[in-house]
Amino acid sequence: MEVATQPLLEVEDLCVVIGRTPILHGAELTLEAGQLVAVVGPNGAGKSTLVRAAAGLQRRSSGTVRWSGSDVRKLRRRQLARMRAFVPQRGRVPDGISVRDAVLVGRSPHVAALARPTRADHAAVEQAIERSGVAAFAERRLPTLSGGELQRVQIAVALAQQAPVLMADEPTAHLDLGATVVIARLLRGLADDGLGVVLVAHDLALAAAIADRVVVVSRGRTVAAGRAEEVLHGERLAEVWAVDAELRRDSDGRAGLSVAWLQK
Amino acid sequence: MILRRSLVVAVAATALVSATIASLTLGAVDVPVRDVIDALRGDAEPGPLREIVLELRLPRTFSAIIVGAGLAVAGALLQGALANPLASPDVIGVTGGAGFGAALILLVFPNSIALLPVGALAFGLVAATLVFAIALAGPNPGGIGRLILAGIAVSALFGAATTSLLTAYPERVQSAIFFLAGGLTSNGWTEVEVVWPYFTAGFVLAVLLIRPLDRLALGDDVAQSLGTHPRTIRLGAGMAAALLAAAAASIAGLLGFLGLVIPHVVRLAGGTSRHGYVVPVSALSGAALLLAGDTLARTIKAPIELPVGPLMVALGVPLFLFLLRRAV
Repeated sequence: MEVATQPLLEVEDLCVVIGRTPILHGAELTLEAGQLVAVVGPNGAGKSTLVRAAAGLQRRSSGTVRWSGSDVRKLRRRQLARMRAFVPQRGRVPDGISVRDAVLVGRSPHVAALARPTRADHAAVEQAIERSGVAAFAERRLPTLSGGELQRVQIAVALAQQAPVLMADEPTAHLDLGATVVIARLLRGLADDGLGVVLVAHDLALAAAIADRVVVVSRGRTVAAGRAEEVLHGERLAEVWAVDAELRRDSDGRAGLSVAWLQK
Repeated sequence: MILRRSLVVAVAATALVSATIASLTLGAVDVPVRDVIDALRGDAEPGPLREIVLELRLPRTFSAIIVGAGLAVAGALLQGALANPLASPDVIGVTGGAGFGAALILLVFPNSIALLPVGALAFGLVAATLVFAIALAGPNPGGIGRLILAGIAVSALFGAATTSLLTAYPERVQSAIFFLAGGLTSNGWTEVEVVWPYFTAGFVLAVLLIRPLDRLALGDDVAQSLGTHPRTIRLGAGMAAALLAAAAASIAGLLGFLGLVIPHVVRLAGGTSRHGYVVPVSALSGAALLLAGDTLARTIKAPIELPVGPLMVALGVPLFLFLLRRAV
């Protein structure tokens, strides 16, 4: 049964031009609470730009972005920081900063300019550390962590923002299979907790396995959106990625991509 | 960890207090501590000792403290804002510009020596403005790489202009050498009176930038996610550093080394690069090191004054190298 609620995020007819190159023209994206939306598409299709522009990290040329009904242009930076958190593909890894320090920085949209963090802020930081599974190495310095651990710290920083939406730009791009699965479960779990999660992903099997909806971006526009099995069928894979491939899922929730690697 | 950080603060604070006492009491004439206290409280009899303390040593001590703190804070802000360990006031052109401004007054207009601090300050700020104007132009405004390259180019330009002046007025070079080497003078409060507003503005900006710089440390994307505009923060940090470094140069010549090394020493010794720690402790340590260096420079071969710049390098480099060797 569909319940008419206001979406957390609505992106309509979004256009972005960088320099003189049009990157997006007609991108769409909708996100509701408790939903995990995967944005997929070939390299250079504009997936990251779509998510960055929706998050307010990238200047828009035209189109609308609404956060809980409010036009993004009317939101102040600090307000926006409480509505969405953005996890980059690879954050900077400064020396001399511990995991806990970094997560506390993530709390800053809730702390006034010269005020000290309150007990509630520290509690939010601890909760973020706990939820993202970084408690075991919370005192360690960032450069001593593995890629998978660092990515979980990035998610912890975002969770400390306590925004209803978390947007992650290819968070598993550099991770091994085990670390990817940890991140996948974490993101799915956050959506189950009630957060809206947007995930930019290259791995279609991962997207199909954890996303409620998949948005396919190709050549700067949204070409399809819906449940993975409706959207990521063989014809679409051939059309958008120019490969002969098929998505396979079984009843255990296993998902994989069957690719005709060497056949044209 | 907290113990280690507190220890660093305690050492820096003790060094600053000891250096302050030494600076006020020691010199060509030694003034007993009791007389210094009397002079400061206004209880002293009018006489040469009171004059020495209030008119010579107090302004010099105060100058060393604000210059040392200013340069160290400028370095900490720039290293944080540019995410570059090599950043110092030299990088944004301030040092080169201030050197040229001072050389211009000392060599070309020696009769207007009173304008020395103004010249150094003005050209230091002009050079920094030029660097930022270049860095903020073009398709990717505010890029770190472009800012650093613009800084190197503008510094080279002013450096060449200074060298040209030195060769054009060889008979007056002696007067400029002291400024270029860096060192404090016993000119009373005149310079401080000119530049204190710039120091104040720089320090206030620095305090406001502490939190935003911590966000920037996690990368531009995370900073933006947290509601910070990276370019604004970089520009603000650059402005604050330019104000502090130009004001420092107009009092004490070119002591750029301090701005480069002190924040590193603080990070390595304290084991953290949180700006809430690095900025204030750098201020404390920079003030302590410059004041100690200046007092040594005045007293080792009194009444001859050694230039404090080279002396401080001699003091600071071994400490820096020791800490660097143990760094991860």
